[in-house]
Amino acid sequence: MVKKRKLSVSQGLIYLVLSAWALSTIYPFFWVIVNSFKEKRYIRSDTFALPLGEMFTLDNYRTAFERVDILGAYRNSLIISITVTAVVVLLAGFAAYAMARYRFRGRRALQGLIIASMMFPVFSTIIPVFRMLYLWGLVRFESVFYSLLCVSLPQIAGNLSFAIVVLTGYIRSIPVEMEEAAYLEGYNVFQIFFRIVWPLGRPSFATVAIFTFLWSYNDLFTQMFFLRNKRTYSITRLLAEISSQAGVNYGLMVAAVVLVVVPVLLVYILLQKNIIKGMTVGALKG
Amino acid sequence: MKKTLALVMAVAMCGSMLAACGGSSSAASSAASASAASQAKPVTLNVVTSYGGDDGNRANYEAAYKAYEQATGNTVLDASETSNEEWKAKVNTDFETGSEPDVLFYFNGVDSNKFVESGKVVSIDEIRAEYPDYAANMKDDMIAASPADGKKYAVPVNGYWEALYCNEKVLADCGLQAPTADTTWEEFLAMCETIKAKGYTPIACSLQEVPHYWFEYTVYNHGNTANHTELPAASTDAVGAKWAQGLNDMKALYDAGYFPVNTLTAGDADTFQLMTDNKAAFAIDGSWKIGYFQENAMDINDFTVTYVPGQGERKSTDLVGGLSMGYFITRKAWDDPEKREAAVKFVEMMTSDEVVSTFGATAVTALKNGTTAPTDADALVTAALAMTKGATGIAAATEDGLTSEARAALFADVKNIVTGKTTAEQAIDACLAVE
Amino acid sequence: MNNSTIYKRKAPLAVFLIPAFAFMAVFLYYPFVRNIVNSVSKISGLGTASEGINTPWYKNFVQLFTDEKLRTAFGNTMLLMLFTIVFQVGIALVLALLVDNIRRGAGFFRTVYFFPIVISATALGLLFNLIFLYNGGMLNQLLLDLGWVKEAIDWKSEKYYMFTMLLPVMWQYVGFYFVILVTGLNNISPELYEAAAIDGASGLQRVTRITLPLLHNTLCICLTLAITGALKVFDLPWVMMGQGMPMDRSWLLGTYMYQQTFNVGDVDYGSAIAIVLVVLGVAISQLANAIFKEKEY
Repeated sequence: MVKKRKLSVSQGLIYLVLSAWALSTIYPFFWVIVNSFKEKRYIRSDTFALPLGEMFTLDNYRTAFERVDILGAYRNSLIISITVTAVVVLLAGFAAYAMARYRFRGRRALQGLIIASMMFPVFSTIIPVFRMLYLWGLVRFESVFYSLLCVSLPQIAGNLSFAIVVLTGYIRSIPVEMEEAAYLEGYNVFQIFFRIVWPLGRPSFATVAIFTFLWSYNDLFTQMFFLRNKRTYSITRLLAEISSQAGVNYGLMVAAVVLVVVPVLLVYILLQKNIIKGMTVGALKG
Repeated sequence: MKKTLALVMAVAMCGSMLAACGGSSSAASSAASASAASQAKPVTLNVVTSYGGDDGNRANYEAAYKAYEQATGNTVLDASETSNEEWKAKVNTDFETGSEPDVLFYFNGVDSNKFVESGKVVSIDEIRAEYPDYAANMKDDMIAASPADGKKYAVPVNGYWEALYCNEKVLADCGLQAPTADTTWEEFLAMCETIKAKGYTPIACSLQEVPHYWFEYTVYNHGNTANHTELPAASTDAVGAKWAQGLNDMKALYDAGYFPVNTLTAGDADTFQLMTDNKAAFAIDGSWKIGYFQENAMDINDFTVTYVPGQGERKSTDLVGGLSMGYFITRKAWDDPEKREAAVKFVEMMTSDEVVSTFGATAVTALKNGTTAPTDADALVTAALAMTKGATGIAAATEDGLTSEARAALFADVKNIVTGKTTAEQAIDACLAVE
Repeated sequence: MNNSTIYKRKAPLAVFLIPAFAFMAVFLYYPFVRNIVNSVSKISGLGTASEGINTPWYKNFVQLFTDEKLRTAFGNTMLLMLFTIVFQVGIALVLALLVDNIRRGAGFFRTVYFFPIVISATALGLLFNLIFLYNGGMLNQLLLDLGWVKEAIDWKSEKYYMFTMLLPVMWQYVGFYFVILVTGLNNISPELYEAAAIDGASGLQRVTRITLPLLHNTLCICLTLAITGALKVFDLPWVMMGQGMPMDRSWLLGTYMYQQTFNVGDVDYGSAIAIVLVVLGVAISQLANAIFKEKEY
């Protein structure tokens, strides 16, 4: 690539705009971290001050760690979210590939069904789902395995539609010639999917994985219904539990936000590398 | 590329193996407990209460059930949570599907109608036929009967009261003192006027979000303890007129500018903050709010709690309060010969004089012997104890007689009443029109 | 193009489609059918059984047309949808294009723009409540100190509530569309840019001639997501503008449905609103898709 060395005026402007927006997104994060070190009574009254002097405390974190098994909760969360993400990416990839490439009767109807399911509010589907899982004998609050399974199944279904919509669009943008070339070399459609579409669409799969992970991890509502026993708690469920009250314990709440956010950011930074250009090119050529 | 996939798969596998381990270990432990059961018959009790989360009594509750486990060798599988609408929905779903707990600490009012009507909980009388001493330490007339069938099901622990919290620092700055048992409604209005003139907010309340407590007391002020919980059939009958007068009293307070400027556009958290910020003088709220002041007040001695000034037949010392929750034993546990005894014993221990005393000594109690006061009470707790001791009458909240739909409709209309968009009578009729 | 011989044999379709749709059928479509049944039933609390069919069965659907708060909710939601498409997607597009054009710090911007999506709505709601607080909120303090206003502004009053509600919602999800668009940009082959550079195309020409046309499908995805997303918006407005504050003016379809289902306990009416949500979502996004057809390459 040929690019000018010196930072031009337009580059300066670009950085100015980008930094301004970055400031607005960093500040809330900064605010959350700062306030997690404050005694809770100061969080409303001195919210924009730094936690110095008598305001500073580690109590919020101490309470979070003392009262509950945080590591177990992280483990449960990761099991749920990784399972959900892996299944969603694979199944949605399949479905999206079919929706993007095949012409068949009823495609438009299926498209409509997918979009409709993005709209189903979880509040109105949770109770039939609960009854069904109970009927199947899967609702066993005391068992970690069954509880996590009960959370994962509806979450997989809930994230599939979003993943299919996004992946269909991306796959459609991939030039079909590569697939035709592979076909002439004797690949069948499954080989084409795994050896051509999957590597070419890697940024898209990474993006879908990021959001699926995020939503599964943060989906408190489903977790509330199926995770009843302390041993089965996920991190989100656990922290919502200890920071909720007749009012709200803001101190624990912001500390909880910090503890909850850390793994998601790690996953994002990890997967983000897959969205970046250079590596896509590598995959293309390799 | 493949590496990433392999990594994801590997992690997922580890995850599922961990999960499997968790599953098998729990299976193993339940097998272990089952084999133990064949020897000494220890029982596992599933218990759901609202003492979960950050509840002020969570530690007391946990200590109490641990003591029960120690004493009996039984295991308590506790799934307590914080009470809110979602929790209620879950409890109802559990009863519907048959996955209800053995013992449940829950509301004894209309909220429990569904499973009372379907016979899924056992009445105290039925239990007493076999265990005559069940809940013998409680005053029977303080145990609330279910509105569904008039029978008593739930053994109460600690009750609640609603009363007037005062910021004495603000009052002192206005040359006033907190209202007493003798303060009348007119004197209270005069105090508000003084406070307002001094630039403070007289009453911290979000009419938008929580007009409930002011509604209770303004209605109470037009009735008496005996008829407070009566429900109107129409806005034109005696009870309806009482409600309308109460709602119009709230409008008068609003028109006089005693509520915060943004009472219609602020949430309860924002308006209540005015109390601890020393910007407002009064707030009516429940006994559970003591903890808020203990956590958030710069100086707890600046705050006190007292009677809401009365008028008419209501003496200022008449309180809104009661015992709205209690321990239910489910039919499922009662019919299980292994669990029956364990469940009864559990409730007896959780509602013993000593345990109840640890659960908030300032609250209304059904104990025949009363509760013992804590030794390390702060100014606010001391005031609360004095107040409950001096109470001359206790009426349950009248809003509890309404269905959640009707209640929501009425309180959503308060903002329209005070701004004159609707009248109190219209709002009452609209509330009653809700099934 | 799509008539490519590879995809003439339809047998593998079943393998591709059945697993995903089986999942959705069991956990989404069947429960939603139950929801449709609920909408014509009489149910007095979430988790409680139906007490039979409403009389008349379409009672809730009549109520939909007479309910003033629902009308408010509908209007606000449509406005929100418009704003989402124009501002959320618009700002995200500008930011994505800009990040695509810098060499240093792109990773940094990609990471920090993601922050708002990961912080829970409860925490963000609290933060924005404190920023917009009437007594000593950040914004009021700032305006008073600068002398731009004489007295504190009630940001949740009937005059300003729309701004106070929309601003945080708009801001929060820019990062979401940003990530989707960045992904779309990276699906564009760099060779095309190199060819354009050789042809002597300017930066702006590159954007209008190569980037935007090739981003067409990604923008279509964004459009669908924006339409469905705007209809579902719930948590931030719920935390900041509880109970349709002020004076029942700020209801959205999402918040109003939740209110009816959980707080009011009118589960059957809540179910009817859920149906409205789904019908609107499908209708509007199909319409949008018909106008901006996805292209195949």
